[in-house]
Amino acid sequence: MAKLIHLTINDKEYDVAVAPNETLVDMLRYRLGLTGTKKGCGLGDCGSCTVIMDGSAVNSCLVLAVQADGSQITTVEGLETDEGLHPVQRAFIEHGAIQCGFCSSGMIVSAKNLLDKNPHPTEADVRTALSGNLCRCTGYQKIVDAVLSVGK
Amino acid sequence: MLLPRFDFHEPATLAEACEMMAHYGAKAKVIAGGTDLMVNMKKKLLSPERLVSIARIPELKKLDSSPGMLKLGPCFTIANIAASEEIGKTWGAICAGARSLGSPLVRSRATVGGNLGTARPAGDMPPSLMAYGARVVLTKKSGQRVVSLDNFFRGPGLTEIAADEVLSEILVDAPPPYSGCSYMNISLRSACDCNIVNVASFVTLEGPGGPIKTARIVLGCVGPTHRRAVTAEKTLIGQKPSAALFDTAAGAIAACVPGAETADCIPIDDFRGSADYKMEMAKLLIRRTLGAACSEAMKQ
Repeated sequence: MAKLIHLTINDKEYDVAVAPNETLVDMLRYRLGLTGTKKGCGLGDCGSCTVIMDGSAVNSCLVLAVQADGSQITTVEGLETDEGLHPVQRAFIEHGAIQCGFCSSGMIVSAKNLLDKNPHPTEADVRTALSGNLCRCTGYQKIVDAVLSVGK
Repeated sequence: MLLPRFDFHEPATLAEACEMMAHYGAKAKVIAGGTDLMVNMKKKLLSPERLVSIARIPELKKLDSSPGMLKLGPCFTIANIAASEEIGKTWGAICAGARSLGSPLVRSRATVGGNLGTARPAGDMPPSLMAYGARVVLTKKSGQRVVSLDNFFRGPGLTEIAADEVLSEILVDAPPPYSGCSYMNISLRSACDCNIVNVASFVTLEGPGGPIKTARIVLGCVGPTHRRAVTAEKTLIGQKPSAALFDTAAGAIAACVPGAETADCIPIDDFRGSADYKMEMAKLLIRRTLGAACSEAMKQ
């Protein structure tokens, strides 16, 4: 039986009817067309589904949509403003931290969450914060450099 | 990956949750963060008809560290434990366990009650909690009971929790003076990886330099559940801490002594490592955690 949930996504309010077994990532991608958040492993290992929920970066593939009722969600789509790309997004481009781009949404959202809590992280802080986001292409170095450059 | 279908219930109080579990019993599963349950459901290993979410029950999320005891709600997240100065001040090894669990993304949702309830032999929270002598409160409609974590785990994925019970609180006594505790683990990757071996050691000394009067060593990943290395513990009592002593304790885990059902450490060969390797790593972590625990105990 569907449940009506109310949540705020990227500062916009939504009322959505969801099935109990619908995950947050499926709701974002299929019901709301917010396909910036990706589906990789579906099991909370790869981090491509990372969103910020009530201030913490989480695997949206492991959150039931019904559990997100009343929450504040930020997806990668919410990072760009009228003034342009978010500093983390710009840094990723400038540092060559994007190859195939599949991990990038998750990486950028995790990095933004880190910088919101710790504006000047060390390299160790960055690597720990991104340890739940896997990248097959870059070898991580340029991603780490990009995040550190924003934190300077 | 699709989840099987189920009905979702969200009780507002512990009493309501117990009412539901009494009614639905084994047809329902309790969910908090869901970081383990959801994985098992997606893999079709579990297909409960109903999920009873305790995630929004305020009394289950609390942290109370009045002098003498830590009372943790089961829905307190792993991330909050890792960051808690209040817990870290007195029960530092619990924070170390929390920092090792999963990834930052998992830790934001995972809960301490969940990590106990899923009873994985490689779990990161049981060793330190057992080493500190923690107890859990299991509540049902008609009352509650308190169970020591030493008697809580029955096998991989199996616990003392009955179908109509909810794990409602975790109780940890403050360690006596001249106590120390340390948790260490070994895994291939720094995140999202099952431990190859994990160990927590707790000691209480008679005095700042003094002999060991209490010792608890907990081994993970080397048996069907986390287990106390009772043979190793016995070698420590009444002895002054030293590298040689820690060596003796570590060596004791391999032997099956008369009167004991099994040796302290009973690893199996699997894709994570050979039994021999795990045995050696368990000994290594015992030496290191005993060293760290005794150092902490001597500083007080």
